[in-house]
Amino acid sequence: MIFKLFEAFDKRFVFERASAHCDIPCGIYDPSGAQIAALTVVRMVDLMAELEAKGGTMDKAFANSMSRYIAVKEEHAEKAKHEIRVIWGDYIKPQHLEKYPQLHEVVHKIMQLGSKSRQTADRDTAVQFVDAINQFAQIFWETKGVKTKRAKAPYSPALEMVYPDL
Amino acid sequence: MLRVIKVTGNSLSPEYREGDYVVVATIPFFLNRIQVGDVIVFRQPTYGTLIKKVAQVERDNDQFFVVGAHPESVDSRQFGPVSRQALIGRVIWHIPKSAK
Repeated sequence: MIFKLFEAFDKRFVFERASAHCDIPCGIYDPSGAQIAALTVVRMVDLMAELEAKGGTMDKAFANSMSRYIAVKEEHAEKAKHEIRVIWGDYIKPQHLEKYPQLHEVVHKIMQLGSKSRQTADRDTAVQFVDAINQFAQIFWETKGVKTKRAKAPYSPALEMVYPDL
Repeated sequence: MLRVIKVTGNSLSPEYREGDYVVVATIPFFLNRIQVGDVIVFRQPTYGTLIKKVAQVERDNDQFFVVGAHPESVDSRQFGPVSRQALIGRVIWHIPKSAK
């Protein structure tokens, strides 16, 4: 009865709404996707250099392989940037930034190195991209109280990576 | 003084559900006596007008730490404490849908 009365008034006058807001955060954040994507960028640069070093004719087989390496490099550089942006935007909170004031700078560096990795075929840039994402991963796991360890990736390019030490 | 507000979302379920109405007191007398367990309505820059339960009162800096009952609630655990300036009012009457 009382509810019906309020409902009727609401239809007539439209009361203000207050949201008991619920998000559905999956809570699954992990920088490993970005790390693997960045490693892939280095791998593609290496494959491009290997193909170039082989010499031979600039035939369609060469163009096909080279364009595929470039396409994968593009895709994974962008993927790494996207993964970092999601963690930065959705997971990182003011208290994390208070504790790790360098975080914005690290993320900005990742964005710039990711773009440069797409624009060029420079291996040093791609390796710096991996390093910057490792820095981010280190901070990320620290915010969750998870210890980390450094170990070489068990595949080419066997660069040193930051892993959660579970 | 008094405002009627309709609840949307389910972060305070099962106590407060989507579609319930609440009467909110905006009188300073009520706002000065906000305690843990009170349900308040406030403005949040990102999420707009929200309704949550007070889990902690920080008298020194006039802030409230608010939570929802639902595990997926977006509350002070995400956006930090709520200042008194952001406060709209305290719920003094709850009219649930089930009161039909």
